[in-house]
Amino acid sequence: MIVVEGLRKDFGRVTAVHDVSFSVGDGEIFGLLGPNGAGKTTTVRLLAGLIAPSAGSATVNGHPLGEGSQRIRALTGILTESPGLHDKLTARQNLAFYGRLYGLRGAELGRAVERYLGVVEMLPFADRRVGGFSKGMRQKIAIARALLHEPEVIYLDEPTSGLDPAAAKTVRDFVDTLRSLGRSIVICTHNLDEAERLCDRIAIMRGRLLRVDTPAGLRRHGRAATVRIELNGAGGAESFVGMLASMPSVLAAQPLSGSLVVELADPARETPDLVAALVEAGARITGVREESATLEEVYLSLVGEVGERDLRLAAVREPSVPEVAS
Amino acid sequence: MRPAYVWAVFVKEWRDLLSNRLLLGAVALPAIVFAAIPTGLVAFIQVNDLDPNQLGQIQQYIANFPGLPAKLAAQGFIVTNFMAYFLLIPAMVPMAIASQSVIGEKVARSLEPQLATPLEVPELLAGKTIAAALPAVVATWGVFVAYGLVNGAIADPRLTRLVFSDQWLVAMASLVPLICLFSVLLGIIVSSRVNDARTAQQIGGFVVIPIIAIAVAQFFGGQATFTMQQVLIGNLMVASLIGLALIVGSWAFDRETIITRLG
Repeated sequence: MIVVEGLRKDFGRVTAVHDVSFSVGDGEIFGLLGPNGAGKTTTVRLLAGLIAPSAGSATVNGHPLGEGSQRIRALTGILTESPGLHDKLTARQNLAFYGRLYGLRGAELGRAVERYLGVVEMLPFADRRVGGFSKGMRQKIAIARALLHEPEVIYLDEPTSGLDPAAAKTVRDFVDTLRSLGRSIVICTHNLDEAERLCDRIAIMRGRLLRVDTPAGLRRHGRAATVRIELNGAGGAESFVGMLASMPSVLAAQPLSGSLVVELADPARETPDLVAALVEAGARITGVREESATLEEVYLSLVGEVGERDLRLAAVREPSVPEVAS
Repeated sequence: MRPAYVWAVFVKEWRDLLSNRLLLGAVALPAIVFAAIPTGLVAFIQVNDLDPNQLGQIQQYIANFPGLPAKLAAQGFIVTNFMAYFLLIPAMVPMAIASQSVIGEKVARSLEPQLATPLEVPELLAGKTIAAALPAVVATWGVFVAYGLVNGAIADPRLTRLVFSDQWLVAMASLVPLICLFSVLLGIIVSSRVNDARTAQQIGGFVVIPIIAIAVAQFFGGQATFTMQQVLIGNLMVASLIGLALIVGSWAFDRETIITRLG
């Protein structure tokens, strides 16, 4: 369990992370999304006890940052942005070295190394020097290193970067398994599809947290969810609007090109009742789909990428427009 | 500081070092060269049975060894005078290893994963320091012992006693490890500021200048080798430099600096 309250990190005059608060439960995968320089890596470094916060506080499994940092590091597994392996050592020697740093010894160390070499499907390459490995192979060894000591809290920075689709799926499945084992997992990624598939909740940040929500909640972007119901037969949609307006779960309803567009607070729970009521009222339904923005659209609008890009283009077209800092 | 963690870093560094043949060559070569030149001269004098009057400038230094025959005194001067250059081994070799190690970690970005474990920075630095200093200490001691025995065997056992003099035994036991430690610290500090091992060694290379200056001054001053007093003063000076390097090093190598600048 990670609890973060008002965390801030300054590097000289630059504030990299500003007033960040969130929590990650046991068995939860929490995604950190944001552009380069948004403070994701700094946030992870703070929570992993690698650097000290300038203000605010956080506890990791009850251990506070600062005096509990060594304990936090002992119960934390971290996949850094760059694999950071020792090229002259073999895969097995790399893992054994880190196992020792995490306090594993003797037979326990040997078992852990074998197990995780197997988990990342690198046993056939265990005694080869890492210097000759491909990017994907190095990433697998780095993942094994992060998990070797069975950490309770895991930080994964771009976990599937450089992996082929099959290996990426293996990693995603394994992360899913870790969730089921009750581990708290924080993933930093630019891969929105992966974040949506893996994460229970996602934080979009740019120096500060812009929004924290479930993937579905983010797609709705703070608005009520819209369900579009396609009807067979033009002109019939208007006749159901009055009936829908009387249903307590319906926030708003309107006809649109022979379809009904209905706003619901919780479409996953309320759509079946809505459909049943319409069918009972004589509607001939040919399709039902929830309409929401894609995570990419929400992300871009939140981090302001679209706006900035437009401004940059304007600056190129019109020299009199002041330069926009990127 | 926990020995198991220092040991883990030390073993990793040694594995790294043993796989780097170029670096191993850099350790062995100076030791062999500094021992081979004077030994070759002693052998040359011995084999050719040279008259000290033919030895030019060395003749004037024979007075340093009043109890010895002129030829053996000339050999004694050569043997003891060159020993100052032995101090170049602990000055050069650990710096080469340490800078290679730190810059290698910077390039591979492997410092952050290590510091993300319960490993503390002093344990990391201690493991690296021992791994970088040990080859130089062992090489210097090995060359020192071999040098004394071989020269004694070539010429006269009295040369062995000149090599294994009290001041040189003290210098080997104290000055050599101290110079090694200073050299490692300097290598680490310089490496934290640059991104290329060669540049680090060039910048740190000034550490050999005082040693060469001392050796040259000793020769032209007509002094055969160090006195005990000079060795003890040398210990004190190098220890002071280590203190200074530790202060600078603790600033350059705190956890946050490593993570955010060296990673």
